[in-house]
Amino acid sequence: MNEKFKIIGRRQPKIDAWERVSGKAKFASDIYLPGMLYAKILRSPYPHAKVVNIDVERAKALPGVKAVLTFKEVPSYRWHADMPILTDTARFEGDDIAVVAAVDEERAGEAIDLIKVDYEILPFVLDPEETMKPGAPKIHPQGNIIDGKPLMLKRGDIEKGFKEADLVYENSYRTPQLQHVTSEPRVCVAHWEGGKLTLWDSSQNTFAVQAGLARALKIPMSKVRVICEYMGGGFGDKTSAERYSVLAGLLSRKTGLPVKIEFSREENFLSTHHRWPTVWYLKYGVKKDGTLTSLYAKVIADMGAYAHIAGAGQCLETVKSVYRCPNLQGEGYSVYTNKPEGGAMRCVGHPMPQFAQEVHMDIIAEKLGMDPVDFRLKNYARLEDGDQDRKFPFTSNGMEECIKKGAEAIGWRQRWQKPGSSPGPVKKGLGMAVHACRHGAMAEPSSGMVRINSDGTVNVLTGVADIGGGQKGTMAMIAAEELGFPLEVVSVTSADTEVTTDTGGTAGSRQTITGGTGIRLAAADAKRQILEIAAKELKTDKSNLEIRDGIIYPLGSDKGISLAEVLRKAPASIIGRGIGRVPQGVIFHTFAAHFVEVEVDTRSGKVKVIKLVAAHDLGRAINLMAVENQIEGGAIQGMGFGLMEDQILDKTTGICVNPNLLDYKLFTIKDVPEIHPIIVESIDPYGPFGAKGVGEPPYSVPAPAIANAIYNAIGVRFNELPINNRSILEGLKGLKA
Amino acid sequence: MDEKERKSKQEKKGNALKVSRRDFLKGAGATAIASTVSTLSPPLLTDAGAVALPLGVKEAVIQLNVNARPYRLKVKSHWTLLEVLRKKLGLTGTKRSCDRGSCGACTVILEGKAVYACSLLAMEADNKRVTTIEGLVEGEKLHPIQEAFVKYDGFQCGFCTPGIIMSVKALLDKNPHPSSDEMKEALSGNICRCSGYPKILESAMAAAQKG
Repeated sequence: MNEKFKIIGRRQPKIDAWERVSGKAKFASDIYLPGMLYAKILRSPYPHAKVVNIDVERAKALPGVKAVLTFKEVPSYRWHADMPILTDTARFEGDDIAVVAAVDEERAGEAIDLIKVDYEILPFVLDPEETMKPGAPKIHPQGNIIDGKPLMLKRGDIEKGFKEADLVYENSYRTPQLQHVTSEPRVCVAHWEGGKLTLWDSSQNTFAVQAGLARALKIPMSKVRVICEYMGGGFGDKTSAERYSVLAGLLSRKTGLPVKIEFSREENFLSTHHRWPTVWYLKYGVKKDGTLTSLYAKVIADMGAYAHIAGAGQCLETVKSVYRCPNLQGEGYSVYTNKPEGGAMRCVGHPMPQFAQEVHMDIIAEKLGMDPVDFRLKNYARLEDGDQDRKFPFTSNGMEECIKKGAEAIGWRQRWQKPGSSPGPVKKGLGMAVHACRHGAMAEPSSGMVRINSDGTVNVLTGVADIGGGQKGTMAMIAAEELGFPLEVVSVTSADTEVTTDTGGTAGSRQTITGGTGIRLAAADAKRQILEIAAKELKTDKSNLEIRDGIIYPLGSDKGISLAEVLRKAPASIIGRGIGRVPQGVIFHTFAAHFVEVEVDTRSGKVKVIKLVAAHDLGRAINLMAVENQIEGGAIQGMGFGLMEDQILDKTTGICVNPNLLDYKLFTIKDVPEIHPIIVESIDPYGPFGAKGVGEPPYSVPAPAIANAIYNAIGVRFNELPINNRSILEGLKGLKA
Repeated sequence: MDEKERKSKQEKKGNALKVSRRDFLKGAGATAIASTVSTLSPPLLTDAGAVALPLGVKEAVIQLNVNARPYRLKVKSHWTLLEVLRKKLGLTGTKRSCDRGSCGACTVILEGKAVYACSLLAMEADNKRVTTIEGLVEGEKLHPIQEAFVKYDGFQCGFCTPGIIMSVKALLDKNPHPSSDEMKEALSGNICRCSGYPKILESAMAAAQKG
């Protein structure tokens, strides 16, 4: 591969930076249309209740109210498992009962208050283990275990593996419920006009929203246009058509006016997707020399009231793929509880097993008397290991380099000390963890279009929703590099279902490789067309031509002809089309190792992360600055998962007690330590210019690394997140394991 | 005077905000109030709604100076400055994120001080000077703070960015050469959920060194 790139690997400011820093970028929440109505959703105040009577007459009579819908007036469409558009049975606090559209937000809110609902309050269950027991309150007719049985994974023979082991260690771990807290809450504006619905949605995947709306409203996809030019964060919450967009569409169809639905911060806590809580039982066998012989993992994934996905399978992936081991058994239960819906959140399904597994590994290393770094280096899944069940190799694997470079950067070999040996009341410790997951992989659909204008400029059309990772600019860089054009002539139109092509949504760290492959192939297709036209004009063969900075040169010549000039002489429409296909017989993974230094104040219980080293194999960095930003931001969110974030439902009422940003703690600029990103480029043979993704993996690694560093500092293990001041003080008192 | 005439008359008086597009001048109150407009004060922007006020809600005409442009408008007693900026003046650069004074996305500068526009009643801003993110750009030209945020990638999704830039500006207006800790303190009330904090700090400090 030609390593001399003109554009790839630069520190490139974002292509839409002007719009984003000037306040001119129009997010979905900034759309105000003439005559627009505002809709508000009536939400259940109880975690489990049946609506026995609902009276909307007073709401309808309020001046300014244009439409009221209850579960009686909406189509009987269902999502996932039994989620109706509006429900007559509330299954969590915040479940959608009715909706009102009025001339302004105040009147919509007032009308909601005028709807009289008589509820029959039902018993509820919050604990994922309790919900599996006979006699637990039934949340759906089909029972509280999704699919009625666990998902089973089996490789080799775990009993044989445990017999071969010199040490068998078992423990259990728990992770809490988290909220995405996107800066822009869920919001959309729907406009039904002339038999066609246009929706401005804050969405990571406009094409999924288009398909979902068409299904729910029973209209052709060609009559639904979904646009998301700018969005205020996604982190997995905005990956599909949700109830609010369907409701806005229904209300706009009914009233003939544009309708906006904008969640409040509290609604966003109560009634969106969440990182689902998990309970883990791990039992690993290992030989004296540190070789893993057997892995057993049982997970209970608490998917809340309506499983956006069956989470246990996603959770078990990490157990399958980080380490090489011939014997493995996984048992995964996805269960219903009366909590908000469990769904995708950054590095979906992986941070929870990462925490459990990496703390488990740290404990085993200590029991073996091995350095945690050496223990990882001994067992990590190699390039050839790949998918150990189907026997496919990884496409590329930079794990070893991540571990070694990370260890060096933090000074592990010189500075790592015996746990609990730090003197004084404020104790320091070092910890590490590794990560491997399929995020950042090539997926389908992968497509793109590159249109060449007659003046030699370029329009890139891509379905990629730019959710803040600079994805639009990445597409421009890939197109410009492939074409041999300067970056400045490339414009990008993105995430508009009417004019761009489907790339499967900005989720799973996939757009650099999935959207990027579509655009690279489209640019190559356009380039072929350019060279064919130029060859004819210059009376030569296209293989004798090359493009540099947008000028077409005969090979080895300094005298070129501009594309605009060629097109003046030989007018032609040049449209490049690219469709990527996932290669078979191989498996993509991204790899990472994090190293942290913490300071624990044993008097207050305060944990301060002093330094975090984040080494990531992402194939190749397309935009170095955007990659660093992703690693830093992901790692900071991941530190929040380790130390702060916890959406708490009161056990006696099932009501959320912290649905706001004062009580649900997030990292602020003052909590951020020194972060040292290390970019490992394994040059993936299939990714565009060797790239894989990086959006999500940085999230998954800090929490276990911090937990291990805390142990190293104070000699107390924590097997439950978050590890806050209270956990530390209780742990120090010996109240915790 | 019918509605069309009234609108064109208002526009001739130099209403730079093109309020006609948003139909702000509709409604029963406009005629009477329009006749009181003096040549010195800007035209009055009124609400479209003609529904009776709920109990306890009052209305008043306030004067705002936003981004060095004067406005007179009738507001309800419970409207926040944030609502007025976004819905009445069309200045959507100031964002609504938590709407409860705990995230900083709605930060504007009021009389030289960074404030949360969601936590200030519009009436409290009567006769005060407000600067929003829109007030920093001159035509296409970005403010040096904004330029630094572009150069050093001081944002990801950009939703919290206007608020962050306003907090930086409020600090630099008073303290042109702050320490890194002073900058962090000034930004501690602005949550960036994308958590692009390292590059936000780098951008803000670069802007400080320039200034």
